[in-house]
Amino acid sequence: MIEQLPILNLVLLLTTALMIPFTQKISFKTTKLVGFTVLLTVLVSTLFILLHVQSEGAFYYHLGGYPSTIGIEFYVSILSAFFTLFVIALGTLIYVYSTRDIEHDVYAQDYGRYYTLLFILLFSMLGIVYTNDLFNTYVFMEILSITTCSIISIKRSKKNYTAAFRYLMLNEVGSLSYLFGVALIYMVTGYLNIDLAAESIQQVWHLYPANIVIALGFMIIGVSIKAAIFPFHIWLPDAHSTAPSASSALLSSIVVKVYIIIMIKVLLRLIGIDILEALNIPVFLTIIAASGMLIGSIFALGQKDLKRMLGYSSIAQIGYIVLGISLMSSLGLTAALFHIVSHGMMKAALFLSAGAFIFLRNQRAINGFNGLGYQMPISMAVFSIAGLGMIGIPGTSGFISKFNLGVAILDANQWFLLVILIMSGVLNAMYYLPIMINAFLKDNPEKNRVMQFEKLPKVMLVPIVVLGLMIVLVGLFPNSIMSYIEAAVAMLLA
Amino acid sequence: MKNRDYFRRSIESYNFQSIVLVSMLVAMLGFFFAYIINGFGFKTWLDSSVNLATIFFFIYRQRWLPLLIIGLPVVGGIGQFVIGRNICSVRDTWVIVTTFLTILFILFLYPLAIVEGFYFEVPYLLGFGLTFSIDMVGFIMLLITSILWFLVMLYSHEYMKHERHCNRFLFFMAMTYSAVLGTIMSGDLLTMFLFFEMMTFASYVLVTHGQKDESYSAGYNYIFMGLIGGFAILAAMILLFVHVGDVRFQSAIAVLSTLGSVRYWIIGLLIFGFGIKAGMAPVHVWLPRAHPVAPTPASALLSGIMIKVGAFGMIRVATSYFFPETFVIGTIWETMETIGFVVIWLGIITMAVGVFLALQQSHIKRMLAYHSVSQMGYIVLGIGVALYLGYKGAMGYTGAMYHIINHALFKSLLFMVAGVIYLRTRENDMYKLGGLWRKLPITAVICLIAALGISGIPLFNGFISKSILHHGIVEAYEYGHRSFYYAEWVFNVISAGTVCSFIKLFSYTFLGKLPEQYKDMKSQFMSLHIPMFVIAGLIILIGVFPRFILDGFIVPALCCTTYDPNFIQTYVVGLAFFTSEDLLSMLFVVVLGYAIFYAGKRWHLFHLHLPHWLRLEYMIFYPINRLMRLACRFMYGGQCRINPLMMSRIDLDAKNDVGFLERFTLTASVFNRRYENLIIKSDALIYTLILTGILGYLLLRI
Repeated sequence: MIEQLPILNLVLLLTTALMIPFTQKISFKTTKLVGFTVLLTVLVSTLFILLHVQSEGAFYYHLGGYPSTIGIEFYVSILSAFFTLFVIALGTLIYVYSTRDIEHDVYAQDYGRYYTLLFILLFSMLGIVYTNDLFNTYVFMEILSITTCSIISIKRSKKNYTAAFRYLMLNEVGSLSYLFGVALIYMVTGYLNIDLAAESIQQVWHLYPANIVIALGFMIIGVSIKAAIFPFHIWLPDAHSTAPSASSALLSSIVVKVYIIIMIKVLLRLIGIDILEALNIPVFLTIIAASGMLIGSIFALGQKDLKRMLGYSSIAQIGYIVLGISLMSSLGLTAALFHIVSHGMMKAALFLSAGAFIFLRNQRAINGFNGLGYQMPISMAVFSIAGLGMIGIPGTSGFISKFNLGVAILDANQWFLLVILIMSGVLNAMYYLPIMINAFLKDNPEKNRVMQFEKLPKVMLVPIVVLGLMIVLVGLFPNSIMSYIEAAVAMLLA
Repeated sequence: MKNRDYFRRSIESYNFQSIVLVSMLVAMLGFFFAYIINGFGFKTWLDSSVNLATIFFFIYRQRWLPLLIIGLPVVGGIGQFVIGRNICSVRDTWVIVTTFLTILFILFLYPLAIVEGFYFEVPYLLGFGLTFSIDMVGFIMLLITSILWFLVMLYSHEYMKHERHCNRFLFFMAMTYSAVLGTIMSGDLLTMFLFFEMMTFASYVLVTHGQKDESYSAGYNYIFMGLIGGFAILAAMILLFVHVGDVRFQSAIAVLSTLGSVRYWIIGLLIFGFGIKAGMAPVHVWLPRAHPVAPTPASALLSGIMIKVGAFGMIRVATSYFFPETFVIGTIWETMETIGFVVIWLGIITMAVGVFLALQQSHIKRMLAYHSVSQMGYIVLGIGVALYLGYKGAMGYTGAMYHIINHALFKSLLFMVAGVIYLRTRENDMYKLGGLWRKLPITAVICLIAALGISGIPLFNGFISKSILHHGIVEAYEYGHRSFYYAEWVFNVISAGTVCSFIKLFSYTFLGKLPEQYKDMKSQFMSLHIPMFVIAGLIILIGVFPRFILDGFIVPALCCTTYDPNFIQTYVVGLAFFTSEDLLSMLFVVVLGYAIFYAGKRWHLFHLHLPHWLRLEYMIFYPINRLMRLACRFMYGGQCRINPLMMSRIDLDAKNDVGFLERFTLTASVFNRRYENLIIKSDALIYTLILTGILGYLLLRI
């Protein structure tokens, strides 16, 4: 029974996406309710899958009963079970927030379209995480990038169209280069299934090193463009800053991470550490990651617009994750996977609270935050918690990821990366701290500085608060999710 | 009329309350000290009295006592929001009572501290669990912290009536208190780091409490230096964790001595990180800015306690990780020798820089802050001697611990005096004051006591620790390197500078001619004088009976370390105070100090200042700005596209007070405005180049 749940999740999400135009005919309220029920159901079922995988071990699911040589195969390991739970949990929170925030950003006739897109987005992300097939991954990636593009352009302004068009073009380059890489792998191995392809690569890579290297180069670059890893990040600030706030949160905290999961799958499950090290790939990844950590932050320093700054900050944080992967050790991977989760929560909290400032005060400019902490104490407090997490203050999940990453770096004997890590932390402080300080400690002459109760609608406030609490809880008790991540890493490196 | 009556009564009742609390404190401390030295057979009586002994036994056997002590100020801080949003006397009483209770519980820790190394663990928190431990060194810090905090809170009631946002101030004061207690009681570096960062952030709000432009710029300086220090500690912690596998405060020298240069990185980063908080010389720049702008109770505690936590951190990490498990003689001390050598000179530089800059100040609180730097130099010097001499370093350790106690007392008292002067005259500039002893006789006497304390005059506490430190530096010269002969000279000259500086402070504010506008001021006894009396009393008591602190606290603390027990027995326990040698050298220092003061006043040397191009900001950013402009002119000819307005803000001549970070941010934004769009627009080109480049690179490698 549990084995059927992954595909049922996908079917459920897809049908909901198709149902929403009809429910929207009845009322927007129905859409909200249906969407929320579906998300809760999927959340519960992913939870069951995780518990099942934890007790019984990983399992395969063959679509239509075809054997894995020709058919599509789902591999539900602890990695995919945990990350689907992560995707759906964050997705649900952001969904709840968006049901009210959408009024500010999107025209009324587009509500139905927005939620259709949102569910297709979640559907494709779940598919990417579950699937064990290279070409199938490509199909889901295409669905994901097209829906993302539509979600960015749903606000119907010139800026959004430009950003969406740029996003579409660059992501097509990414998808196609990934596809080209898959084709080259297929040429060498004759399989699209990751496990089977990996086995034959182990046997034949000495014969076709050029093929493997080119394939790997194309795949890494393709995924890097989509995950906005440093030199390929150019589309991200525009896209994330113009999208509706809820979607920015979704894009920055989940969508980008899903591509990193693809990258982990390709690097570790398809190719394997030995071959990667023989081909000198880790060094190349390390350079990309380290420069991204610094340059993303330096660009974030000069921004005037809050959401744009958060976008650049994402680029720096993705650098942390790639750095963890590039160390190619179990400690490094643990740190990277933990940072996926912790950055997901922190960035979601940041974007959602930024959305709250825009929703209530229309406040986007960074220099206009004076005294905002008195008008919106709760969302500003969560913003501060998440910002402190980005800096790496103990008590937040950001500290745990930074500590683990530092330990992994020194374990790999690369102390100069530790220097970069710490410089990046200081840079983060330089653009997050002034906002908090201005909001809580500076006076705004125009506004009343008596502490007010938050006027934000409850539907928007609850997800923000939950995210803030989760950041602190995971920061204080990291072992709760660390055990899953360690199991996942053990699976990847086995 | 009725209102005024009510007001007067509440003040009087507050006076009454504080007298009651202070006498309770004195009684409590009296019993406690009687217990320690078994005066009047008190200890014997208490141990034989079954009922009392069971109660005490019950309380101090509670393993969660550290958590209670950390939690109590937090309860006070949150409670005062609920209890007294508007009624200020009720609120303050609540806060003061909670701080008082904290002292009580801290006293219960004494049996634990003296008998055994006490461990308490909170599992799972932060992944590794938090541990707390209390030993004698920690207990000394806890005791001085809690007593001073209580007295300052008594003081702050009267003082904070003239400030806004009292609730916020008291809340963050309580958070800082709890963080300081946590830092002292922590049993591993991770816990210490957690509380240390909490302290940085909580005290940041105290620094910027005034919400003026200068407080923000001082605050930026403070928080970024604090963060950088925190990151240094984090890096050291990661290094330790990777190489030793454990961050508990226990001897790791067996592993560390096999590590080559890594061990120097670890201790160097730790000393740098804690040194920032302690105001050590090259990284002291935040201190003279941050301490004067904070409200006086906060600056008294910042200077009195918080910078000591930095020094305590240094002592803690050095004596735990880098000292051997048990007392041995051998090459194991070599690491410490190298580090100690550096630390001693850092301490001497700190002393010199602090005094030199203090002599130029006219703002009273800023001058005191520079003296904090200089006095921290004494403590760092003591720590340096304690490390440098290896197993014979007990004298430096004693001096450092003793000076931590003494400096906490007289520096917070001096800040309180500055607060009273400001409260009555609204003036911080000592050149604009004078003759105040007629108007503020009580304050003048207290100021005199504190000044005698800090200048190291016999019969006041500063003399004791300074002469111990002097012994320490002489030992460093005798057992160690020749260069410390000069260090001793510098030591004496700097002590003379301190004497001169306080002659200057006292004569400019309390002596001389009274300015016209203060003619009508009346002498008045206020409740904030009560805590000041207590501290002044402690200063004199320690000065007259120096053996008490030494035998009761510092020698037990020394016995926990792995110094040579014979050395401790002969030199520290057998230390003679008030020897003719010490007194003579003190006389020399005083005479020299007066000579400097006379020369300074005669030839206006106190008004000299360093040229501003010497500041680091200029040296780094001036060339960068010039280069950017040059490049721009080169590329675009006359029409430079860099925003001239932004550039002018970082220009050398336009603004003198733009700090390092702001300059960096501005440069970054100029760069961004200029190139961000260009990069985004040339996307296709960049992708093509990078794609071909990477593929070419990968293909060439095989």
